[in-house]
Amino acid sequence: MSDFNVRSDSVNVEQIMEQVRDRIREKRGVDYTEQQIRELAALKLEKFLDPRGVRSDLLKEFRGVEPDPNFAFEEDTLFHSTRAPFLMWIRRLLRPVLKLFFNPNPLIDVLHTQSKLNALNASRHQLYYELIHNLVVEATRLGIEVRNLKMRVESMDARVDFSERRARALEGAVMYRPQVEDEREATRPSPSRSPAPSPIAPPERAPSRPMFSPTPAAQISSSGSAGTGGPGPGPGAESSGQRSKRRRRRRGRRGGAPAAAIMGSPAGSPQGVAPPASDAPGGDAPAPPADSGPERDAAEQGPSTPFAKPPEAHGGGSGQGPATGSGGADDEQ
Amino acid sequence: MKLAIVVQRYGQAISGGAELHARYIAEHLARHAEVDVLTTYASDYVTWRNEPGPADERINGIPVRRFHVEHERDLLAFSRHSARVFEHRHSLADELRWLDAEGPTSPALVNHIAAHADSYDFCLFFSYRYYQAYHGARAAARRAVLVPTAERDPAIGLTMFQPLFRGVRALMYNSPEEQAMIQTVSGNQDVPGVVVGVGSDVPANPRPERFRQKYGVEGRFAIYVGRIDGNKGCNELFEFFEGYARDVYGHLSLLLIGQTLLPLPQHPRIRHLGFLDDADKFDAMAAADLLVIPSYFESLSMVALEAWALGRPVVANAKCDVLKGQCLRSNAGLFYESYAEFLSVIQSLERNRWLGATLGTNGRRFFREHYEWPVIERKYLDLLERLAREPARSTMEPLPPWIERRRRNLPPAQDVVARLPRGASLEPAAAGLRS
Repeated sequence: MSDFNVRSDSVNVEQIMEQVRDRIREKRGVDYTEQQIRELAALKLEKFLDPRGVRSDLLKEFRGVEPDPNFAFEEDTLFHSTRAPFLMWIRRLLRPVLKLFFNPNPLIDVLHTQSKLNALNASRHQLYYELIHNLVVEATRLGIEVRNLKMRVESMDARVDFSERRARALEGAVMYRPQVEDEREATRPSPSRSPAPSPIAPPERAPSRPMFSPTPAAQISSSGSAGTGGPGPGPGAESSGQRSKRRRRRRGRRGGAPAAAIMGSPAGSPQGVAPPASDAPGGDAPAPPADSGPERDAAEQGPSTPFAKPPEAHGGGSGQGPATGSGGADDEQ
Repeated sequence: MKLAIVVQRYGQAISGGAELHARYIAEHLARHAEVDVLTTYASDYVTWRNEPGPADERINGIPVRRFHVEHERDLLAFSRHSARVFEHRHSLADELRWLDAEGPTSPALVNHIAAHADSYDFCLFFSYRYYQAYHGARAAARRAVLVPTAERDPAIGLTMFQPLFRGVRALMYNSPEEQAMIQTVSGNQDVPGVVVGVGSDVPANPRPERFRQKYGVEGRFAIYVGRIDGNKGCNELFEFFEGYARDVYGHLSLLLIGQTLLPLPQHPRIRHLGFLDDADKFDAMAAADLLVIPSYFESLSMVALEAWALGRPVVANAKCDVLKGQCLRSNAGLFYESYAEFLSVIQSLERNRWLGATLGTNGRRFFREHYEWPVIERKYLDLLERLAREPARSTMEPLPPWIERRRRNLPPAQDVVARLPRGASLEPAAAGLRS
């Protein structure tokens, strides 16, 4: 709409306005016209509107209602005669005499006003019809829009769900090596013991993970090995027997879905997955010794305690919001 | 030459269109003739309440004489009379009662005109629709020059005004559309008339930066200047502008200048500055990207002329023939009839600065050629000199007899207006003398 062909000092307003109207017509050709919107609304009305909530025959009824018949009441109506016009003349002549008995003017005024009110009322009826009609059209459009938005919200919800699980799986995968690393590092004082912020977890959670002290190699392996379902061989890796033992135990609890599967296959993972709001001790809590403690306890609680508050030892929450206090990702799956 | 300017209210604080028009004309004609202003004590155009003040005073060097208004406007009675004469068959007596109800009913002013008309060469009556113009022009018909300031509203369809348009010595029209409308409704083609309009004292060097600094205005903006009133199309303007702010990627804000009679929308891009003095107003207009005029009824938009004098483009409501005609004749303004057109016109001006600048240049030229004060003064003086040379060609038709005045045989005024031809005049601007 912004560019015009006229580019000279001598603009012609008529020409510009013609171009403006042409552009509007073009745009209207792409967009829905008013008529199309109405047709669309009429079509969707049956489909989407809840017949229990909205009377679908409302417009029909409005169209069908005949306005009340009105009467005309002017100043001469009281004295009017259709059969004998001379009677009118006589009545008008005697009007001053009539006025000696009573004053007809207020009556005339009132009836005249009433006639106007009736006319006004009839015109309002038309307005109400328009109003209701427009409201129904708008309600339909909004209904369609709400449905679309609902679908989008659902789709985004699924994505968020998947992303959260993926993040938890990544965190869980990362925590194998730091724990071992920690055990090894405990034997020698090193500046690397100071907790560094994780690229995944929020920085404030790092201190609550005493066993997680990622070295660059650990970071690389955490991101790099996540897709392969397990940590890569790091400098401080535990023995393969220990690792596979723990992995088997975890798989057993998860029902056989490894982290890689969770991360790599969004289509498969949501099935049978607990709500994303639930906590994931495997990812958020400090990693316990592999074969002991709360992790297994929580896993054993199972679905019967889906919103059980995690033990205090889990670091005071995961940072994903207050609804993250469930038994853990492992029990969820 | 001695002239009387007769107007319903007068004063420096009165910014209504016809009243301001009258004051400007009085002050500029005073350079060439002896000018008296005859007006009322009223300053409120709704109630016509008498305001305290001296009967005689000088405003900007012009002697002003004030007369009492006999009664204030009774709004209920006025609306009842309006409904009767606009919507129903009615009598001339009904129309006269409507005029009396409209006000400002000042028989003292009319009596003064009748008694002292001979002491003036000409009496210039402003605004045909008010009591003082109708009765005053009838009382001094041979010296009456009417500046009708007529709009396309139902009042122009009232039958009582037709003899007035035919009976005055001359008419000073504001626009070709107004002239065509009055000639159609009254058949007064024989009466000398000239499309004049009015000038404006626009400063040669406005200071937009001073305005921005004083009022803390940043960024680009469109401006509306005038009374903020539903009758002026402001509701539609707000609706359209909020749509513009919502629907498109635009940066313009809307600045409102003038007294408001409406609750203003709470929108971060709509700002109301209230009533500003002329210097600030012109600085603001110079700082604006464009002027918006949403009014449906105008006889001439002075503020459009001022914007053009400052080299600013205008966006006007095309439902008003006069505004559309002004835009077309000047080649300096765009117009809209619908929201889509409003949106695209505003966007066009916002995104194409060259377009606004070119329209502004056209507007400046249009103003210089047709509305600078020497041009306006010359048109008035030429016509008055011509009238002084010529004998009066028309006489005011007397009112019909008592019984005839009460015959309900006049059509509803709005029906008359509906039959009037529509459309903007594409003739050259303020085409000059026509008679």
